[in-house]
Amino acid sequence: MTTPTSTAPEIDATSVTETPEAVGRSPGQLMWLRFRRDRTGVISAVIVILFFLVAILAPVISAVYGKDPYTLYGQDRPGLLNDFGYALAPNGGISSEFWFGIEPNLGRDVFMQLVYGIRTSLLIAVVTAVLTTIIGVVVGIVAGYAGGKTDYFIGRVIDLMLSFPQILFIIAFTPVVDQFLVPSNEETPVWLRAVTLTILLTVFGWAGLARLLRGQVLSMREREFVEAAKVTGASPARIVFKELLPNLWTPILIQSTLLLPALVTAEAALSFLGVGMGEQVPDWGRMFLRATQVYQNDITYLIFPGVALLIFVIAFNLLGDSVRDAFDPKIKR
Amino acid sequence: MNHRKRSALAVVAAASLALVGACAPGNAGAPSSAPASAGASSAPAAEAYKPPTITLGTAEDSKGPAIPPEGVVKGGTVTMIDRDDFAHFDPAQIYVNTDANFGLLISRGLTGYKRVAKGDYKLVGDLATDAGTVSDGGKTWTFTLKDGVKWQDGSPITSADVKWSVERMFAPFVTFGPNYIQTWLTSENYKKDYPGPYGGKELDNIETPDAKSIVFKFNSPHADANYAFAMAGYNIVPKAKDTKEKYDKEPVSSGPYIIKSHVVDKSLELARNPNWDAATDPIRGAYPDVWKMEFGQEATQVTDRLVADSGPDQTAFTFYSNTPAERLQQVLGDASLADRRMISPSPYGNYYYFNLDRVKDQKIRQAINYAWPAKQIQQALGGPQAVALPTTILNENTTVGYKPYDLFGKLAKPEGDIEKAKQLLAESSNPHPTIVYAYNNLPTQEPVTLVIKNALEKAGIKVVAKSLDRKTYYDSISQTKNEFDLYWGGWGADWPSGSTVMPIIFGPVSDGGQNMSHLNDPTVKAEMKKIEENPDIDAANAAWMNLDKQIQETITPMVVAENRIGTFLHGSKVGGAEIDPQQWIVSPNTIFVKQ
Repeated sequence: MTTPTSTAPEIDATSVTETPEAVGRSPGQLMWLRFRRDRTGVISAVIVILFFLVAILAPVISAVYGKDPYTLYGQDRPGLLNDFGYALAPNGGISSEFWFGIEPNLGRDVFMQLVYGIRTSLLIAVVTAVLTTIIGVVVGIVAGYAGGKTDYFIGRVIDLMLSFPQILFIIAFTPVVDQFLVPSNEETPVWLRAVTLTILLTVFGWAGLARLLRGQVLSMREREFVEAAKVTGASPARIVFKELLPNLWTPILIQSTLLLPALVTAEAALSFLGVGMGEQVPDWGRMFLRATQVYQNDITYLIFPGVALLIFVIAFNLLGDSVRDAFDPKIKR
Repeated sequence: MNHRKRSALAVVAAASLALVGACAPGNAGAPSSAPASAGASSAPAAEAYKPPTITLGTAEDSKGPAIPPEGVVKGGTVTMIDRDDFAHFDPAQIYVNTDANFGLLISRGLTGYKRVAKGDYKLVGDLATDAGTVSDGGKTWTFTLKDGVKWQDGSPITSADVKWSVERMFAPFVTFGPNYIQTWLTSENYKKDYPGPYGGKELDNIETPDAKSIVFKFNSPHADANYAFAMAGYNIVPKAKDTKEKYDKEPVSSGPYIIKSHVVDKSLELARNPNWDAATDPIRGAYPDVWKMEFGQEATQVTDRLVADSGPDQTAFTFYSNTPAERLQQVLGDASLADRRMISPSPYGNYYYFNLDRVKDQKIRQAINYAWPAKQIQQALGGPQAVALPTTILNENTTVGYKPYDLFGKLAKPEGDIEKAKQLLAESSNPHPTIVYAYNNLPTQEPVTLVIKNALEKAGIKVVAKSLDRKTYYDSISQTKNEFDLYWGGWGADWPSGSTVMPIIFGPVSDGGQNMSHLNDPTVKAEMKKIEENPDIDAANAAWMNLDKQIQETITPMVVAENRIGTFLHGSKVGGAEIDPQQWIVSPNTIFVKQ
């Protein structure tokens, strides 16, 4: 038996341009085409979009579900938790009413905690990623393009930032910020914690991207098209924005998509270490911390934040990989 | 007066137990045991905890040997494993419970606590023939030493040694021990009044009419001085062999054992003291021949070793390594560990103090007491097996003549009476007050704070939860001009009487002091002075208990906080292990090795 040979020529991700109806396509279109054919990438993208949707629609979900993340259901209503603070129902208290069970001891709704926890994580991570990318791009290009003393100076600052023990610093620095900015008889506002975390994560986050871009710019600076632009009398701003930057979009995009999951984990890790958002703010890191303490009694409570974080980070990393593949098909996996 | 060490200890203990609270015991909630878990709330608390009874023993009670625990065997080697080495061997420097507990093995004092039965203790004469004779309306105390009590070199212990031991506590190098006796003999500034015996000067109001008798003449009546002498800090030191600072490293034994070898922070070995006579000692059983101690073991390791109970660890136990958070469930849930578990609530008083300078309306303070979510806090910290809910200022473990009372309906409604609180608030100056609650930024305190906030807000009280850095927490709240309304503090009694609690937590208001509610009420002050100088100790104890209730009733300077419960383990071949309820540590007196 033979299989009928396909009439259409085989489509290769690397040879899109060789398709019969050779139409002119922009690099962006090419990238989109390649990306669409990457099944892993598409699935990851769907998952990531889903996470974002859940974060944005959290209040809607809460209204439909009929619970909120702040009420201590287990404490207010007898019969949900036993004397020791663990859910009476099996599997951490999963029921038709509490879909993912109840938090041990305090008795909040796990599903709502998870949903609102995405908001906390994503908000901090996205803002930080955007800021980090902007600073990294600006500093990297300036250092690479200007060269000389500027490059030397910026290079040393980057070295300093990269060698700083950032987690330790953040743990030590957050209480100091609170002490300075919050009056002694006031509660630390939630937004201040979020802003502090964002700023600190940004301060320590931009250096890696800046160094990478500096290298790229250095290698491009002496290339013919830049020389040509210079000869025609283009201003430095024009050279940076019109000549260099378009060539840097690939590393920037890849770096920032990979940065986001790293930041989500970093935020969770900081919460785990006790300098994240407070107890009243739903947060994956803190859920995880609590779960590791009670897993012998309530393994379910460890599974939900654990699996959620795992799926999110993997999906985002795979998405980052796919984006890179789509942009830069020469690198074969 | 500097009483901070004990409180520091209480704080450390509470802090370490705060970790214990983080992981709750319990055998329900896990998927497999779910069907049975409905009944689990009552099942594990098989027997209710009974506080110890402490009474005054007679001369007959003060005779040796100690009452042996059931099934006692003499001989063998017992191993003690713990995290920290002992900081001090010189009795004058001992205030912390671990050091004091070790002190029982190598030194003796005038009085001490004899275990009569489980939970039943008597204050008896240790070196003295009885627990002292009081005269002159409580100002003069006379002790007579027993015959046949000797130092490790065989020389007799004399009244001159006892006098010397108290005198040397005035010396400048003694900085850690208790200071009750010193201040009673001289004044608050006792170190200025008398520089210690090393310059050749004696203290006139300690008299030694003969080699066996010793008389203390205090400036004011102290009916409980014999309890003060039971503190390990007042154990004795030989006049002839006192090496001042060096004595802390090379103590001379008057107790049943001698330090054979000691590698700092690693190990310690004790051998029998041939010159100790069991017939003179009503307190120490001293059953094992050899004691081996290992240090540097974290509480988790200690618990794991004792749970595994393999090989040499069968004869091991721990003085002070409480079962930590992550093991409590395992330890409490394992029925096979039932006879190797020891459980006791802490002897410390824990309070949520109101800052009386800021929360001026008693109605509001009472409303908060009514609304207080005691049960929810207990649940957040791990349930009734991890946390007890006292309702009195004085701790049941360390109060002779303890009488419980329940002013705010906590027995009927441990979850808080919001209606009653609202009603009181409506009558108060401000029906919707704002309370700044300062808390120590420990992982376990976050959920507790949330619970408190949740409950008080239901009653219409706005709570500003102020997280304080854990390093400076106690400094911040003990500032008299602090800007907080409510905060947690702890204090431990030095002997079972209100006289080492009340005059301190309601004592002088000063920065860094222990009066954190800033209670400054002339009636209370006069009453405390009157009780302190009452020569009738039973009447005094009853009066402390009444004052306890009276203060909560008329002033309400605090919400009585939850009290942690400690769980200790011992190896299967260790017998007679019991927690000393006053010191919250496993006592060495009754330990023996099963064959």
